[in-house]
Amino acid sequence: MPAPDTLRVLDFGRADALRSQTLWHAVAYGVSAGAPPTLSFVRPAEPYVCIGYHRRLDEVDVDACRVRGLPVLRRMVGGGPVYLDDGQMFFQIALPVSAVVPNRARALRALLAPAVQAFRSVGVPAELDADLELVVGDQKVCGHGAGQIENAVVVVGNLIERFDHDAAAATLRVPRPEARAELVRLMRRYVAATPADPQAFREAATDAYATAFGLRAARGRLSTLEAERLVELDRRFQDPVWVRGPERPAPDVWQAKVRAGVWVLAAEHRGASVVAGVARGRIEHVSVTDAELNGDAARVEQALVGQRLDDAPAVLGDFGPPGERVAAVLARADASRL
Amino acid sequence: MTPSVEVQGYVLALDRGYEPETHVWALVVAPDRVRLGMDPLGVETAGALAQLALVPLGTEVRRGEPVGSIEAEKFVGPLTAPLSGTVIAHNAAAVADPGLVHRDPLGDGWLLELAPSDLDAERALLVEGAEQVPPWFEHKLTEYRLKGVLAE
Repeated sequence: MPAPDTLRVLDFGRADALRSQTLWHAVAYGVSAGAPPTLSFVRPAEPYVCIGYHRRLDEVDVDACRVRGLPVLRRMVGGGPVYLDDGQMFFQIALPVSAVVPNRARALRALLAPAVQAFRSVGVPAELDADLELVVGDQKVCGHGAGQIENAVVVVGNLIERFDHDAAAATLRVPRPEARAELVRLMRRYVAATPADPQAFREAATDAYATAFGLRAARGRLSTLEAERLVELDRRFQDPVWVRGPERPAPDVWQAKVRAGVWVLAAEHRGASVVAGVARGRIEHVSVTDAELNGDAARVEQALVGQRLDDAPAVLGDFGPPGERVAAVLARADASRL
Repeated sequence: MTPSVEVQGYVLALDRGYEPETHVWALVVAPDRVRLGMDPLGVETAGALAQLALVPLGTEVRRGEPVGSIEAEKFVGPLTAPLSGTVIAHNAAAVADPGLVHRDPLGDGWLLELAPSDLDAERALLVEGAEQVPPWFEHKLTEYRLKGVLAE
């Protein structure tokens, strides 16, 4: 039985796709049942796609994943679909819910702050920005998600040593080639790998989390209860009903997030078709088609680039009904669900 | 006009009961129908909701069990039933636009309705009325502020 002031540390090494998820979910159930706060690490031995608890499975190009032999799993924490492979090492911190402030933003800030320290310890000048993204400059360097699993809170993140932007974009269901091209462009621009020594990162993260919580780090192992939950989780995560997820309303605009505040949208409205990349509320890149634009599409695109999404209707006022249709598409964008 | 009270800038309707720990309210809208929603403190501490999912219609839940889940800041958490009963209605507008819960938590941003199975006994566990609601909410605000949960 570990001492009450212990931060249990579990290093699962490399695990197959399924276990790279179910192991730390089992730990969360263990912490919920009274196991000590636990920091765990695992590296997937194979590439796969993992989708957030609430998200629609059709955000993933399941057929393309099947062709490439990529498993698709659904996790119990938040966020969108992500491509994961052995170029990433995951870390997870699990705590009793009573130890976490009941304010999500503040809880996340507190639970990600030690991770920021760990990144800095291995030479990555990371910061937690106002959007709660772990960044270097304006590039996201760590994906994260969080959830309450029974009476435990778990926050997960990753050290991205290598990232294949093309492979990641190829796993998403994208309506048009222009949208995929924009997605890849924005991923390259706003998501970066930070090659660092994973052993040094594990040690730095262990020190940082133990210090932050006033605990003494000690290596541990799965409890009997956790081992039992692991078997149950293995079954659950492979159940097609679980992978399909809860019924969710279909969005009327295709959108994909690259990092907080950066996303791509693609939609049509009465013959007008728009693909746009948006960063911090401004249109970075846009592709427009409408039969009535009569060669003015390039002028519309030029007028929109750099503009705030909210200002699009005014900018498009000079382009008559086609401009109104393009504005109608942009007005339907809603990044709050991403 | 719904009777209400303002506590340190937070408006609370007095026609319903509040679960004191989970910040879910319960409003009896008919003898066999109770509407549930999040109170203003629950909404504020959750943050801007990106996702809302509810258990299927017909699901029987006991007080304290999940009736759904919410996601804000990529953080998934349970919505807990303040009363036992069978889920008989969802607020489809809130599911389609969870921001509605944030904009109007006591009104159009309700979550779901239950046919309660033990209303008389469990209602006593909720905080209700002009005598109970303001001191309870004042206490929670003080507690949350001391813990740094709320901005000053």
